[in-house]
Amino acid sequence: MKAFPWPADMRCAVFVSVNFDAEAYDLKSTTEDRLFGRFSYGRYGVRAGLPRLLKMLERRDIAATAFVTAGDAKRHPDAVRALREGGHEIASRGLDLAPLPSLGTSEREVLRRARDTLADIAGSAPVGFRAAGGELGPNTLQHLTELGFTYDSSFQDDDHPYVFAPTPSSRLVELPTVSSLDDSLVYSARHTHARVMKIWREEFDALYRENCLVPLTLHLRGDVGSTRAARIAALEELLAYIASKPGVRFMTGAELTEMTLAASLPTEPDPFAQHAATLSVTPYRGDLAVKPL
Amino acid sequence: MDRIRRMETYTGSIRQTALPAEFRCAVTLGVDFDGPSHEVGRGIAPVGTHSWGRYSARCGIPRHLEMLTRQGVPCTFFVPGYDAQCHPDTIHAIHAAGFEVAAHGYLHEAWDLGAEEETKLLHQTDDILRQLIGEPIQGWRSPSGRKTANTMRVLKAMGYLYDSSDKDYDLPYRLRFGSKDDCIIELPNNTYSLDDFPFFKFSFTPPSEVLAQWKSEFDAIYDAERFMVLTVHPRSGWGSGTPARTWILEQMISYMKGHAGVRFFSSAGFARWCLDNPQCLEEITVP
Repeated sequence: MKAFPWPADMRCAVFVSVNFDAEAYDLKSTTEDRLFGRFSYGRYGVRAGLPRLLKMLERRDIAATAFVTAGDAKRHPDAVRALREGGHEIASRGLDLAPLPSLGTSEREVLRRARDTLADIAGSAPVGFRAAGGELGPNTLQHLTELGFTYDSSFQDDDHPYVFAPTPSSRLVELPTVSSLDDSLVYSARHTHARVMKIWREEFDALYRENCLVPLTLHLRGDVGSTRAARIAALEELLAYIASKPGVRFMTGAELTEMTLAASLPTEPDPFAQHAATLSVTPYRGDLAVKPL
Repeated sequence: MDRIRRMETYTGSIRQTALPAEFRCAVTLGVDFDGPSHEVGRGIAPVGTHSWGRYSARCGIPRHLEMLTRQGVPCTFFVPGYDAQCHPDTIHAIHAAGFEVAAHGYLHEAWDLGAEEETKLLHQTDDILRQLIGEPIQGWRSPSGRKTANTMRVLKAMGYLYDSSDKDYDLPYRLRFGSKDDCIIELPNNTYSLDDFPFFKFSFTPPSEVLAQWKSEFDAIYDAERFMVLTVHPRSGWGSGTPARTWILEQMISYMKGHAGVRFFSSAGFARWCLDNPQCLEEITVP
């Protein structure tokens, strides 16, 4: 089993990230003039959810990382600045939630515009990126390094941070997440918050035993997010439990990236190149999935 | 044994597979590798959220090997040929640790194949795996459960002892598909109850509840058919490679070991036992 060289006083790092996904998410299904009713859960996340989350994180003394689309940042610049002033990191999630592979040759320009918009609003350029839907194009990692990003957090393939070398001289840290610790997926399955916390406590206990990265992915939204009063109370209880364990350190993406780069880990080859030849002759069958009867 | 005699009466001339009293319950564990082949075969690059299969070789398989070695039980790793090409060192590690390597499609084909292409892919994966471990491959499990009348002929021609894909029974049996030697051992599995992915893909069941469910399944099997085929996947996402889920698998193994007369087999080991004890096995003919 691989291990990560945590400092001597650490047993594991907890990476609390917040996918901002306000109207950006609703706009995948509707238009600007229809952001009402069922398409206003995103606005809930900003109006009701974010203030509640900020207060809770302040009480627990936790710095989180918020991944924000440029569109949401423009609609809610004060919310972005409030996150920033609360000591949280602002990272990029693209222009909107369109999947990067659908952008074709404009992908790099889209990523650049999203970065610049976020830099204007937040006051400094983001160093972290998380793709909408976790969908990356063949050249995304290279674009990110060229645009000054130092880490990505879109993969789900490891227990620890690791390092890509998108070009021989560049380094891009990967902070992998795990689907079982993403609130939106479990709440989408209509579980109670008690059950979600049961899953998360079991997942955390096992990750902690094995000194793994604990990537907790939250959403602000009123439907599949964690910011309703009862959900945030349950979450706060879990975070207090996590914080009570010796050797746990809550870290932002930028802090984890700095620690990972300092560890001088061996770099990983391009994750796309190995499969490019097979993919070029394989038809798309992405709609194939085992579905419940 | 009384119960089995009653069943013989009930089923008339068809003899039901009867495991001997020397072991109370046979257990086979399977790990379906399901690395990047699962996505690449569908034309999806295994990057970003689609990188779950990369977890198999990076973390899931090493964690499973360590756990299985600690528990001292045999296990069969069903490997798509493409994943073996991507991760030859992992296949070597599985083999070196003393576990069985069996076949599981080439690109985890989850769609219908014509006989010609199916035959080609079965041979292709067999070549890849055999060359990697330097020993004959003895068994196959269909990726996605698709299988045809052609499949068994090809498996048999390649010298395979068993298939573990059919869903039609609770006990092993001899599956006859022609005359004379045209039969193969069938170790049926169930991907709704004795598999990890339904719980972790669809219902997001807490790991402890999946463990309770499997224990309940085992309890019923231990008192009745006495044959258990449990399947997990080492990937992230809907698999069991991650710490909490490997943990419940280990708890499950301990639970089964705690029952008198439970014997763990690799799938090939159990197929070999079936061949050596033909009088114990029901034979059915598929037209």
